[in-house]
Amino acid sequence: MPTQHIVQSFDDELRRLATLIVQMGGLAEQQLASAVEAVVRRDSDLATEVVQNDAKLDTMRTQIDDLAIELLARRQPLANDLRTVVSALRISSEIERIGDYAKNVAKRSIALNQAPLVKPVHAIPRMAALVQALIKDTLDAYITADAAKADAVWARDEEVDELYTSLFRELLTYMMEDPRSITACTHLLFIAKNIERIGDHATNIAELIHYTVKGEMKKEERPKGDDTAYAVVTAPGGRQ
Amino acid sequence: MDLYARRRFRSNMVVILSVAAALLGLSWLVMILGTLFFEGLGGLNLAVFAEMTPPPGQDGGLRNAIVGTLLMTSIAVVIGTPIGILAGTYLAEYGRHAKLSMVVRFINDVLLSAPSIVIGLFVYEVMVIHMGHFSAWAGAVALAIIVIPVVLRTTEDMLNLVPNGLREAATALGAPRYFVIRKVAYKAARNGILTGILLAVARISGETAPLLFTALNNQFWSLDLNAPMANLPVVIFQFALSPYEDWRRLAWVGALLITVAILALNIIARLLAGRSRTK
Amino acid sequence: MNVQVADTALETEGEKLRTKVSIKKLAFYYGETRALKDIDLPLYDRKVTAFIGPSGCGKSTLLRVLNRIYEMYPNQRAEGRVMLDGVNILDPKQDVNLLRAKIGMVFQKPTPFPMSIYENIAFGIRLYERLSKDEMDQRVEDALQRAALWKEVKDKLHTSGLGLSGGQQQRLCIARTIAVRPDVILLDEPCSALDPISTAKIEELIDELKSDYTIVIVTHNMQQAARTSDYTAFMYLGELVEFGETRTIFTHPAKQQTQDYITGRFG
Repeated sequence: MPTQHIVQSFDDELRRLATLIVQMGGLAEQQLASAVEAVVRRDSDLATEVVQNDAKLDTMRTQIDDLAIELLARRQPLANDLRTVVSALRISSEIERIGDYAKNVAKRSIALNQAPLVKPVHAIPRMAALVQALIKDTLDAYITADAAKADAVWARDEEVDELYTSLFRELLTYMMEDPRSITACTHLLFIAKNIERIGDHATNIAELIHYTVKGEMKKEERPKGDDTAYAVVTAPGGRQ
Repeated sequence: MDLYARRRFRSNMVVILSVAAALLGLSWLVMILGTLFFEGLGGLNLAVFAEMTPPPGQDGGLRNAIVGTLLMTSIAVVIGTPIGILAGTYLAEYGRHAKLSMVVRFINDVLLSAPSIVIGLFVYEVMVIHMGHFSAWAGAVALAIIVIPVVLRTTEDMLNLVPNGLREAATALGAPRYFVIRKVAYKAARNGILTGILLAVARISGETAPLLFTALNNQFWSLDLNAPMANLPVVIFQFALSPYEDWRRLAWVGALLITVAILALNIIARLLAGRSRTK
Repeated sequence: MNVQVADTALETEGEKLRTKVSIKKLAFYYGETRALKDIDLPLYDRKVTAFIGPSGCGKSTLLRVLNRIYEMYPNQRAEGRVMLDGVNILDPKQDVNLLRAKIGMVFQKPTPFPMSIYENIAFGIRLYERLSKDEMDQRVEDALQRAALWKEVKDKLHTSGLGLSGGQQQRLCIARTIAVRPDVILLDEPCSALDPISTAKIEELIDELKSDYTIVIVTHNMQQAARTSDYTAFMYLGELVEFGETRTIFTHPAKQQTQDYITGRFG
């Protein structure tokens, strides 16, 4: 984050704000990783831990919001400082949403563990790895105030969408083939959807970074690869 | 003794010495006033204001001298004040950055501290000799020459004290220069300038030397400005040095009158100045 | 430091902007020292334009060129043109007193004249108009009403203006300025000697006055510039660095220098 104000305590506060955001982002990234691990390893204990850890994210969000509001009241930031503080408020809420989705993934993994293993699980860690990389790069872009990097993250979310679309089709097909797997597959479907949503929030953060650095919102539409809203999958060997 | 005690001791010593010096200085003034009242108050009666200066051995008063002093002082103020104010205005307003101002200011300072006898001599040379006789006019002019530098100096100082912001504000409204000076600067400096005039009056009402060479004296009642005219300082001068007891008593009365008048003028000036400061 | 300033009227929210004062290639000298260099700047009609910048950047100097008040002092001169409604006011043939009646100015320190509140207002009017007593009373009241001072002083119009509080004195000075019915009002750090409440009253006043006057305000207080102005000019070392809509200047200025200054990073 840019620094070097005449009043050094202002710098310190802005730096603290940035540190809190990065810590919160790191924690959310960790939550996602653990939740996905719980899915893959069918580890209910780990999943429970993730669910409990979500409270930490909420606390950090409160800390960030309090600090941002204090900065607004006491420093009356302008220009890039103003954008930094306003973005911090919004980024903290985006990260909180990421945490909520990670928590939901963990909860569903517990339910998933009650059902027999289904094959399409293998796609989840791949998608999660992609999204985790998005979060990590977003946080890097944030700390270095690198708009180009943020823009790259923003564009990369398309891959996640595409992966989600193909998983969506696969799961639908799977359920049609074997109706006994519907419970497990539905949970998997929601897990995949959650991870895809996390990717969207990461791109939101990337947009905010772009705004913070450049001073204007991105005007173009983000490339989207999620066609599931229009997906119709017919059962193999259909009932004609 | 520790450091603090030493310092306090030294501080106390300085306070004591300063107070002693102040009291010593003040005591002279008290003694002068005391003597004046002691010697003069006895002779003070209505006759002083009603009757003319007498020949030795007769009863009389100081009427012609009082009126003469008032008359010549007034004329001097009427002549000297406008010149002083206008010149002061030039220095403070128009010529603030001009070279001429430096010269005028320097000469004025010299004039301000010039011995009054020199001024008397000058007017004697210029007016009395040319006219062939002493006159009240010459006396008034000599006094006016003393008035000018005092009024000039106070006018300049007082105008300089007027915040420049006021001039800028008035100018920014579209007021021409002379208007700004007349309506704003003079108004703001009015009390200060009045104080200066009062101090000038106080200064000239006791001047003896310039009048000795110009208006001289007149034992009789005369309002003729082309003739010598009686006035308090010269009367005091003559009467006080005379061997006659009653003349000397009148001299004390005259001295008392002048002193009280000057004291009163100073107090009024002080009040005026104080008022302009608190404003 | 080349500044591009749109000279033709800009369109803002469908409303047509008219340039009231156009400053062209303006330079200013204190003796041999150049205090302003190559200033090109429009002042839009019925808009508030703020001049900001560090001390000594020339913002007050620029303001003082606009009504030629600098001519009160020797060795100060301006070069270039300042067009007011198409007429170059720097033209030596221009009547400066008439110009100053058209372009009013309010100063940093409140400067009530040592006379009554009524006379303070009437002073400027009398310079150019002969009014009957009733008309004058009306004009004085109007000016005080517009300056939001009437209620506070209507019962003591004939007492000295020096008896008012600092904030009231400053509003008296504004009333005095608008009483002359100028087109443009120049405000030179009008709130720097006032408490926050009085400052808020002056700012409210500026908001109201801008429907009738073109207003220029020089201020050291960034927030004040952000609050009161529609357009902001950032000056540094006698040059105009950036000029633009206030909302742009204070959220995403184009120049790094502007950003460093308004965010308090100037070294």
